[in-house]
Amino acid sequence: MIIVNYIASIVLIVLGLYTVCTKKNLIKVVLGLGIVDYGVNLLIVSLGFNDGGTAPIYQMSDLLNGVAPHFFVDPVPQALTLTSIVIGACVDAMALSLVIMIYRKYKSINADDVRRLHG
Amino acid sequence: MIQHFPVLAVMLLFLGAFCVEIFGSKNEGIRNTITMLAATIALVLIYALIKPVMIDGEIISYWMGNWAPVSGYAIGIGYEIDALSLFFALLVVTTFWLSGVYSLSYMANDHHLGHYYTLYLMLSGSVLGLVMTGDVFNMFVMVEIMTFASVALTAFRNENEGTLEAGFKYLVIGSMGSSFTLTGIALIYGQCHTLNMAQISAQLSCGGLTPTTVMALALIVAGFGVKSYIVPFHTPAADAYMVAPTSISMIFSGMVNKAGVYGMIRVLYIIFRVMDQSNVQMLIVLFGAVTMFIGVTMALTQHEFKRLLAFHSISQIGYVITAIGLGSALGLTSGLFHAMNHTLFKGLLFLTAGAVLYATGTTNLDKLGGLSKRMPKTTICFLIGAFSISGLPPFNGFVSKWLVYQATYTKAVESGNFVYAIVTVVALVVSVMTLASFIKVTQAVFFGQLPAELKKTKEVPAAMLVPMYIMSALCVLCGIFYPIVNKYLLYPATNAALNVTNYIDKMMGDGYAAGLGVSNIEVAPAAFSFWNPIVWLILFVVIFIAAFIVITGSKSSRGQLLQPGVKYDPKYATFFSGEEELFSQVGGSDLFWGFKTDWKGYYRVLEGLHSGIVTDYAVFTVIATAIITLCMFIFMR
Repeated sequence: MIIVNYIASIVLIVLGLYTVCTKKNLIKVVLGLGIVDYGVNLLIVSLGFNDGGTAPIYQMSDLLNGVAPHFFVDPVPQALTLTSIVIGACVDAMALSLVIMIYRKYKSINADDVRRLHG
Repeated sequence: MIQHFPVLAVMLLFLGAFCVEIFGSKNEGIRNTITMLAATIALVLIYALIKPVMIDGEIISYWMGNWAPVSGYAIGIGYEIDALSLFFALLVVTTFWLSGVYSLSYMANDHHLGHYYTLYLMLSGSVLGLVMTGDVFNMFVMVEIMTFASVALTAFRNENEGTLEAGFKYLVIGSMGSSFTLTGIALIYGQCHTLNMAQISAQLSCGGLTPTTVMALALIVAGFGVKSYIVPFHTPAADAYMVAPTSISMIFSGMVNKAGVYGMIRVLYIIFRVMDQSNVQMLIVLFGAVTMFIGVTMALTQHEFKRLLAFHSISQIGYVITAIGLGSALGLTSGLFHAMNHTLFKGLLFLTAGAVLYATGTTNLDKLGGLSKRMPKTTICFLIGAFSISGLPPFNGFVSKWLVYQATYTKAVESGNFVYAIVTVVALVVSVMTLASFIKVTQAVFFGQLPAELKKTKEVPAAMLVPMYIMSALCVLCGIFYPIVNKYLLYPATNAALNVTNYIDKMMGDGYAAGLGVSNIEVAPAAFSFWNPIVWLILFVVIFIAAFIVITGSKSSRGQLLQPGVKYDPKYATFFSGEEELFSQVGGSDLFWGFKTDWKGYYRVLEGLHSGIVTDYAVFTVIATAIITLCMFIFMR
């Protein structure tokens, strides 16, 4: 729970969305999507963080008896982040491979030229 | 025993995907056997749940690895199948099974079919998992697999025009939607420290809405809005449905955007339970109304069969979203029924479009014509689908659209809000326009002159006709035996969406919901007046005959002579007479030219917006998400 992390993650998400919306180069669009992903990952992993927390090895009785309920770092967000990173990597790889094939077919990766389907 | 069925169905589909890739990439027989075996077993497993869930009213829960909740905290990943989940699961299994049967002959001439069936099974499994899971993060993972497989399948015939482009647009907009959903889920986790839907629902309802949860709600609604392609998130849908193989277009419109609708219902009615707030209702209804209107007007100008169907798909989803946004039992029932009917008739229409593409090699409306003589069976199936989507009695579309009108109008009367009355009128007008554009398709593809190059067209093989017959039969049966559908499918599903206590208790243990002070929302069991489509059909026939007699009897209805010396372009004459005009072909784009001319300004703006540039579409997505977020923050209590 660090405020800097939250701010940083929001900044990353907004920057990523800005990149997707304004850059015409398709590779930059893919990079923008990646940046949004990293922002979200940072947000999730920050949610579970406890300054000075230990590894999450505990017994249910410790928790219920109120023996420092927040003494460990929440493991669930880390698992979520791991999953999210893997998915993000796959999406990026697929997007880039599509960009390569678009370049072969259209001879351009400018978004303004890749618009045969419209209207 | 029965509680293992849902998870087995999902796992079998994913297992099938791996096996097809490992064993079936070379051998056609093994590949088709594995695919159809997995799909059929999944179908049977899900249909076996109808009796316990729909009729006996049970809720099935399953904890992965038996990680049941400890001291009121859900730790493991749970599957929970209530009537709402099962309703959508039934749509999903029916759609992908029929699509699989159709693919066997439709895709037979393509290359790399091992990859096709792998992706097909992954897509089926992910959507099935999405509608049955009880865990929000699991839901996100399924959404991502769904998007991933959809993109790959959109670009599958990558040598064709536009497929790569459509795939890329789908990927960009789709993963923006997924990121919004994930951010929303992260915020919910930060608030509730759990990922289980039942527990989140219980905790949110006792804690009230905080800014964090409002933000989360807005982001998740936007995320599922992207997946169900409501305007203005709809842009990649039109491209993707058009260029994907037709069996996949059917899956897209039959189950992928239903997954988005399911997500909306689950989030709004069960997890956050905000549908009793009039402002939220208004927001969702307006999005739905705009979606149905823009979808249908864009469809009217299309020259491409599948792209036209894609815009209709968007428009019909507008009906569904409008109906579920009403927040009433009647609205929800009509929305669910229309979602189901949309799966049936739009699947049927896409299959007929695929049959036309298979037989002629084109879906361009200006190049087709007169196929009714060559492909009579396909034509009949298409007509049934077109009548259903246009809402003619006694087909299923009539009943569900009628329910939507009734639901919106009842809402207008009850709340005294004039906007809902306007929405009713919009829904009626959209239905008329749907009929108009299907007249255009019927005329351009199946009737009119047969172009010389299509003289040798043959009817498609039986394996492609059987799914069409099944869909047609379902369209008619659901319209005629509507009370049975209502009793066994719609009413349990509506009840499940409006009564949360059972859902929470089944997952977290009896008395959990009551302990946190959760009570059921007051629900009047979908009480609507009964009517009989057959009576309406007879009434329409009587009115038609009366109008025919009156109109043909009067003098003014007889033809008028052309003015001598004025050269008429026969293309633009409404009714033809004389030699030259008699044999002139009216192309698909010629009908309704007057309408298009009158609405020139509107269409100029709209076609400018559908520019085909991916960054523009990204801008729409961001703006719409910002609007949803803003509205939720300003208007939610």
